[in-house]
Amino acid sequence: MYGTKSKIDLAFEYQSQVAVLRPSIHSRRANLTVKFQDLYGFTVEGNVDDVNVLNEVREKVRQQGRVWWALEASKGANWYLHTTIGQGSALTSSLKFSALANAITLKKLIRKGIPPVLRPKIWFSLSGAAKKKSTVPDSYYDDLTKAVEGKVTPATRQIDHDLPRTFPGHPWLDTPDGHATLRRVLVAYSFRDSDVGYCQGLNYVAALLLLVMKTEEDAFWMLAVLLENVLVNDCYTNNLSGCHVEQRVFKDLLAKKCPRIASHLEALEFDVSLVTTEWFLCLFSKSLPSETTLRVWDVIFYEGAKVIFNVALAIFKMKEDELILTHHVGEVINILQMTTHHLFDPDDLLTVAFDKIGSMTTNTISKQRKKQEPEVMKELDQRIRRLNSLRMEDK
Amino acid sequence: MARNANKSLQAKLVLLGDMGAGKTSLVLRFVKGQFSEYQESTIGAAFFTQVLSLNEATVKFDIWDTAGQERYHSLAPMYYRGAAAAIVVYDITSMDSFVRAKKWVREVQRQANSSLTMLLVANKADLEDERKVSNEEGEEYAKENGLSFLETSAKTAQNVNELFYEIGKRLAKAKSSHETGMRLHSRAGQDRGGLFCCA
Ligand SMILES: Nc1nc2c(ncn2[C@@H]2O[C@H](COP(=O)(O)OP(=O)(O)OP(=O)(O)O)[C@@H](O)[C@H]2O)c(=O)[nH]1
Ligand SMILES: [Mg+2]
Repeated sequence: MYGTKSKIDLAFEYQSQVAVLRPSIHSRRANLTVKFQDLYGFTVEGNVDDVNVLNEVREKVRQQGRVWWALEASKGANWYLHTTIGQGSALTSSLKFSALANAITLKKLIRKGIPPVLRPKIWFSLSGAAKKKSTVPDSYYDDLTKAVEGKVTPATRQIDHDLPRTFPGHPWLDTPDGHATLRRVLVAYSFRDSDVGYCQGLNYVAALLLLVMKTEEDAFWMLAVLLENVLVNDCYTNNLSGCHVEQRVFKDLLAKKCPRIASHLEALEFDVSLVTTEWFLCLFSKSLPSETTLRVWDVIFYEGAKVIFNVALAIFKMKEDELILTHHVGEVINILQMTTHHLFDPDDLLTVAFDKIGSMTTNTISKQRKKQEPEVMKELDQRIRRLNSLRMEDK
Repeated sequence: MARNANKSLQAKLVLLGDMGAGKTSLVLRFVKGQFSEYQESTIGAAFFTQVLSLNEATVKFDIWDTAGQERYHSLAPMYYRGAAAAIVVYDITSMDSFVRAKKWVREVQRQANSSLTMLLVANKADLEDERKVSNEEGEEYAKENGLSFLETSAKTAQNVNELFYEIGKRLAKAKSSHETGMRLHSRAGQDRGGLFCCA
């Protein structure tokens, strides 16, 4: 059903390839940093503790896999699709109950992580990508890629420029095959939505989607559903207005949820969007280790874009004590960078994100966005007019 | 103001310019002495620090390396706000990037604080065979606009240290106590965190 497009013939079954690392007693004593490949083939530099954490994470991933398999065995292979209630009166009350129970189980389960082998299938159906794909002819992606082959636009030029600059050194992404595949996905999308075209940042997002989904067509649909349904509108278009909105919403949330940090940073004249913009545009793919990023994405695809706020707040929250002692912008950034780069255990982050931040519904976030939108538009508009008047003067 | 041999100043420095012009590469060459053929594209901005010891003063740079894609333009004010110096970079193998650089120069002249030190940098000077923007063209434009001009190569390190030294010297020389974007702490212990802001 998924079309005939070639599967990415990936030499990247890292999961099985990468042997569990056993730091030698020597490296332990010397407290050396070592380089190693993580679950998705990224080279990570860390100390011995980091290696140990990563090994534990591998084990947890395996255990979590067993939980999912057991559920499939007891509830049927596609049980997680039967979580919506209210498909008419045909449903008996017991069925409704099981749907609700499934929904509760599923939400909890997803926050604990989807096993990497199940990710392609589960993301595809739960995010809405499958539905999106089903509304167009099966050959849509093939036709699109064929139709745009050889076309040159500003977007394709920028994409070409960024291909070798997207996770350079990755064992598959940074190969001719990896570049060609990523190119097809990004170029196809740039034609599907010419308002977005190509925005830097999408290269990282699409690359990671490819690594997870394993077929480029599925990665394409994930990208489509992400930009068109999951994230706030206009995150990546023209002047990134959607992203500006998110930044303002985030600032308000930080002030509310972490007031001590917010007021300290304000005193330092530190604008948090200096660091958070990248988080929002790359969905953490440039800052968090890969499995941690994907655990965040697991929840984003099921619960929506509000999760980005939970996670971003959690990163600040985790370092509250250190952050309020800083005297200088540089220190703040260092703390945040060190923290994100070393968050090898996804549960450390997600526990804070979901248990310590307090719940935020999609509804509240939507209201906040509505409130900020006019301000952002006004500001961007004024800016454009100022710049235009500069240009007029030049003539 | 009396010169103090141990004067130490903190200066915010921002790099602007088209995507791929080599902003990140220049900073990494200066900060880490490294160069990579394929440098990850910058999203939003990246932050670096580096300390320069000059005879006149010790300059602590807070460097904001911004993203070059046109649509990221709307984020730029956040990065150049309060900057003491700006480096506008173009790539000598791309006329587009030179056009873009001129736009940056205009914008910074008008929008940022007036005491800001701006330099125009023509990068990738090692790619002489592919040159599209002549040295004269860049130099002339810089002269007309009262900017210092340097041709650099992040790859071969040509003029990279010179670039940052030049900035450091200028900042140290400037009538420091009235500069925005610089924080002097020759009088440590005052104000919050021992810094005092002259802005
Ligand atoms: N030959 C040569 N290549 C360079 C030089 N400086 C940068 N490059 C290359 O040009 C490409 C872009 O460099 P970056 O430093 O990432 O450019 P940037 O201006 O930071 O680009 P964005 O982050 O996209 O805005 C990289 O692949 C670099 O290796 C140079 O002086 N000579
Ligand atoms: Mg860069």
